[in-house]
Amino acid sequence: MEFFVHSGVAPGSPFARSLHRREFLHRAGLGFGGLALHAMLARDGFGATGAESAYLPPSGRPQFTPKAKSVIWLFMRGGVSHMESFDPKPALNRYADKSISETPFASVLDPEKRKKVRVVVVNDANGQQRTKIYPLQTGFKRYGKSGIEVSDWFPHIGSCVDDLAVIRSMWTTDDNHGAQVQFHSGRHMLDPRVPTIGAWVKYGLGTLNENLPQFINMGPRFFDPRDGHYLGPAYDAVKLKVDPKNPLDYAQPEIALDANEQKLGFDLVSRLNRLNQSRYPGDAGLDARIKSYELAYRMQMAVPETIDFSKESEATKNLYGLDQDETRLFGEQLLAARRFVERGVRFIQIMHGDGAAGAWDQHSKLKAEHSKLAMQVDRPIAGLLKDLKQRGLLEETLVVFGTEFGRTPGSQGADGRDHHPYGFSVWMAGGGIKGGIVHGATDELGFHAVESPHYVTDLHATLLHQMGLHAHHLEVPGHKRLEVDFGEVIREIV
Amino acid sequence: MRARIQLGRFSTTLILAWVAALCPALAIDYLRDIKPVFKERCQSCHGALKQQAGLRLDTAARLLAGGKDGVVVVPGKPDASRLIDRLTTSDVHERMPLEAAPLQPQQIAAIREWILAGAPVPPDEKGEEDPLEHWSFRRIERPPMPEIGEVAHPVDRFLVAKHREKKLRTAPEAERTLLLRRLYLDLMGLPPTAEQLSDERAYEDIVDELLASSHHGERWARHWMDVWRYSDWYGLGDQLRNSQKHLWHWRDWIVESLNEDKGYDRMIEEMIAADELAPGDADAVRATGFLARNYYLFNRTTWLDDTLEHTGKAFLGLTLNCAKCHDHKYDPIEMVDYYNLRAVFEPHQVRLDPVPGVIDFEKNGIPRVFDDHPDAETFLHVRGDPANPDKTIKITPAVPAVFAAFAPPLEPVALPLGEWAPATRKTFQEDHLAAARAKVEATGKDLERALAKAGAGGAPVAKAADPAKEVALAEAARDVAVAELAHLEAVIAADTAALAKPDEALACAASQREAEMLAARAKSDLLKLGPDGDTKKVKAAEEALAVAEKKLAAKDADYTPLRGAKKALETPEHKEDTYGPSFSPTSTGRRLMFAKWITSRENPLAARVAVNQVWMRHFGEPLVETIFDFGRQAPRPEHLELLDWLAVEFMESGWSFKHLHRLLVTSQAYRRCSSNAGMDPATLAADPVNRFYWRANPRRMESQVVRDSLLHLAGELDVSMGGPSVPPNGSSKRRGIYFTHSRDEEDKFLTMFDNADILQCYRRPESIVPQQALALANAAISLDASGKIAARVHAARPGADRGAFVDGVFMILLGRFPEGDERNACLDYWTEMDSLESVKATRDPEATIRSRLVHAVLNHNDFVTVR
Repeated sequence: MEFFVHSGVAPGSPFARSLHRREFLHRAGLGFGGLALHAMLARDGFGATGAESAYLPPSGRPQFTPKAKSVIWLFMRGGVSHMESFDPKPALNRYADKSISETPFASVLDPEKRKKVRVVVVNDANGQQRTKIYPLQTGFKRYGKSGIEVSDWFPHIGSCVDDLAVIRSMWTTDDNHGAQVQFHSGRHMLDPRVPTIGAWVKYGLGTLNENLPQFINMGPRFFDPRDGHYLGPAYDAVKLKVDPKNPLDYAQPEIALDANEQKLGFDLVSRLNRLNQSRYPGDAGLDARIKSYELAYRMQMAVPETIDFSKESEATKNLYGLDQDETRLFGEQLLAARRFVERGVRFIQIMHGDGAAGAWDQHSKLKAEHSKLAMQVDRPIAGLLKDLKQRGLLEETLVVFGTEFGRTPGSQGADGRDHHPYGFSVWMAGGGIKGGIVHGATDELGFHAVESPHYVTDLHATLLHQMGLHAHHLEVPGHKRLEVDFGEVIREIV
Repeated sequence: MRARIQLGRFSTTLILAWVAALCPALAIDYLRDIKPVFKERCQSCHGALKQQAGLRLDTAARLLAGGKDGVVVVPGKPDASRLIDRLTTSDVHERMPLEAAPLQPQQIAAIREWILAGAPVPPDEKGEEDPLEHWSFRRIERPPMPEIGEVAHPVDRFLVAKHREKKLRTAPEAERTLLLRRLYLDLMGLPPTAEQLSDERAYEDIVDELLASSHHGERWARHWMDVWRYSDWYGLGDQLRNSQKHLWHWRDWIVESLNEDKGYDRMIEEMIAADELAPGDADAVRATGFLARNYYLFNRTTWLDDTLEHTGKAFLGLTLNCAKCHDHKYDPIEMVDYYNLRAVFEPHQVRLDPVPGVIDFEKNGIPRVFDDHPDAETFLHVRGDPANPDKTIKITPAVPAVFAAFAPPLEPVALPLGEWAPATRKTFQEDHLAAARAKVEATGKDLERALAKAGAGGAPVAKAADPAKEVALAEAARDVAVAELAHLEAVIAADTAALAKPDEALACAASQREAEMLAARAKSDLLKLGPDGDTKKVKAAEEALAVAEKKLAAKDADYTPLRGAKKALETPEHKEDTYGPSFSPTSTGRRLMFAKWITSRENPLAARVAVNQVWMRHFGEPLVETIFDFGRQAPRPEHLELLDWLAVEFMESGWSFKHLHRLLVTSQAYRRCSSNAGMDPATLAADPVNRFYWRANPRRMESQVVRDSLLHLAGELDVSMGGPSVPPNGSSKRRGIYFTHSRDEEDKFLTMFDNADILQCYRRPESIVPQQALALANAAISLDASGKIAARVHAARPGADRGAFVDGVFMILLGRFPEGDERNACLDYWTEMDSLESVKATRDPEATIRSRLVHAVLNHNDFVTVR
């Protein structure tokens, strides 16, 4: 939350100029968590003269001309079968029920090629390679001018395929659901926790709307409830529900309180805190708290207004699937996301699929469950893409569809697929991403990413690039980032 | 493109030389352009820490002197200098720095240029200091105290000496009530009541009283729980994956230890090795929850890595973890040291010991560690990869070699019987026998009731549907209970005898009783299922009966011994009965050796690190900024003499935290006000960040203190101490320290105010975010407390006017009276509230306004601030 944006002292005032950035930090009594303040003060120009530290936090402005202003990050918890969504593999039908070693592609099982996986749960019931080929459980159709094939479980997304860049060559290293953490942070579950991509965007970019949180999460989380980690809790996503009565924690009084009384109380607090400034001149903590209190009050108004759909037309609501039970919940989150984007929120992270492991985790009943889950998200996502497009927002809004990993070409039990980190699909749309293209490929069985393989942080780097940020410039002292954390921009799709 | 290719034909050196010639200001300056590159990229292997190939690059003279293979720089001839070869070769096994990115082209160009210019050596260049001369690696000696005439307090003498030297003026002492509020919050985590704020006793007497309060232990336990990573267990569903059940025993041990002022040295020893230091002491062993917390079901290496990393950071201020994959880049800790330290912990495992009176480990048990595999080997993992152990390097349990001089000897510890064979504990056996007897009695009564119902005796009662079946079922249940008791007695007898020498007859008896018990259970199950029962279950019961009857006939001596502890699974494939009922009768003594090394008077780190932690929590800023890294990356602190004096004083006081607290909070430095107002402009200009503690630093309350304060001021706080973790987000009014706190469970209100991160929390962040304002404005706890606090303030002076009420509210919530404008603001508010319809409609409008006014002041910055 950017209450620091103008931290009580008008930027450029003689007082502000006379104060050193570090002085502010110390006065605020903010240690580690003061990173936020540190960054924000510097952003406001308070830190510009401070030469004692080589470290300069991001300016809050893009480092080069951005293509995108906001991100809508859709994450399917569990692992979506790439072979039954965006990466058709007819060979699975040809070799159905055969062992992989009986096919011409037996070499995919070569242990050397599978070394990159770091096992968390040794000998777990799940996360094993399955060798008996399981045929495709759905058909594919070509869509749009590009003729890209999309499975029959995602016909609405199919109808938007000319706006998508489908990446069929993702890989990760966790064969279990710690991959949720990895997809967001780039680090394996057994590594120390580091900030997630949403936290980095928040860290790197200033807000476009001071009345709303800049980084929002909707939907269930599990393996790691935090985002900011060493950036501090100010960089955690604000948890939000599409419930105008209670959209975020403590958004409304838990014990009834008359609005007029609330307003008078708010005014009194502001007045008292300002009077306190003469008692404690130059107390950055006090100044920041005044700002944060005022922002809280505005947020309390602005958030419910944003998730109030009463002014949306029926046509728009139906576009997102609000007229159907199956699609309503996810559709509401996506419609809310569009409204947040319109109001300048930078990063909206939406998680789909309940349960600890995530709903998209069909170790059995793949056909029944995957088709049901796909139905929940297909229409809302297509609705979002179309709505953004018709409002001219898609150009500056990057939509990402991701998941933990793919699923095994082989069957698990009678009717399931296991976790598969060696190759899986994601897609991006809008925000300057080329539409109607397929990038990268897995082998004939959908086993390994073989053509232009991308580790998950390449997705992060691409996203940051579209937002006008250099991944390498997002660093803080004392926390070494590794080369793998930065990833590389997927040039072919931008 | 073409231009670039053409440029490439010239060597960069030529271009640089040309530029330098044209523009002398751009000429290469060794100190500016080269030395920093060597320092950053080369010196960890070629400097004071290590001298690979006998070569050092920390001074130009040493570089020119070369290494054991001769010179590496030929002045004036970069192309003949091996340094340049090694920096630029395309062979990655040869290119320096090894296993790292090469130097930047312009850095290499600068080095070439410098060599070309004859490699001029600057005069009086200082090399890198001997690593063992680093300030925190030197033995802690008590420095002489500055003589400052009228200043008596040791802390002030060190600080005032600096103030005089720097010509800094100090802030005056804080108002007494503000100071008392600060003191109460710091020592107890609860604000003073109105009565306590008007306490006229001497300040020092109040300090002593607060230190003696049991709330003091709770307050400081929470701080240390941050540092020591307290977390209740978590996992997936019912599967325990991290930490241990009932870890609150360790929390209670921390609270109790602090309250009784147990020495910090003893605390460290108990946390790492209570089982070896005081075998059989059930109170002390709770301390090893510190290690049990690191339990991780899936990966032993991760588990031990966490143990080493956080033992190093918490007690030693050493980043041992940096030596896992390679020698430490900055500190004299080698990779072998890391694995030697791992060997210290290699034998240990975690188990739950029984708590007297409880036989179900799900209900209670003490999580603790013990040496389960005294002979477990440790290998160095090549590049930190557990799949790649190097078996040629001998790894032995040891402390880091450079600090080994004061390591105590390694001596195995013989354990008392109850420790390694916990089922032999009298209380344990008696608890089980009592439970078995109670079951016999209860099933007997059930049988009597069934018989009564069946009309077999006494007055007829309501007829059962099938009285005969009910009687048969009750009879079977009673038979099971009787067989279980008989079995338990037989097993205890056999187990007890076997400790001296296995007794064939007793073992046979135990085996027979076991078979009888299994048969009775199977018969009871069959009866319960009836002829139409679930076929699978019927079949299972029939099979069980057959097995039991076979065993009965076999008359063997195979019986299942009693299990007196519940060992945590080493890997997910294991089951509880993978492990035997008793453990190793000796402990290796490795952890005790390690713990005693940490607490040795010769250890230069432990006391300094602890004093710094305590100082930070009283003064808002630490003396050493890098609180968990006192290694060579930590510059010499400004107030090192003060730190050392306090560290020696701390150790010589018997590592008494209470002594340290008393010393710190009675200083003038602690008692100063936290405002810049009216301060000497020269002081503000000279030390704007208050490095010299010329005023106090305001701090934000920790999450628990915010919540506990609300409840305490409202008169609602439940002050009962200890016991199992309390589910968060409910109606409990216990102190926040008692809430379950894990990855998956956390109190929502507490999370708003930077709750402790269970993975690493050496210092709580103090963020200021709007959610905090929303929580204080809208949470039920705050709204509810407002009414209660208002009622209490009003009740103290029922006849007082509005102004006096405002005064009372300011005092109790902020620790001071309002100034004129502040009082007026509140009175204006009162008038405005008077006219609101919603207020008028309430039963007692004045009371409503009083409550709302308190609610507003709770949202004042200074309520959540330790001023």
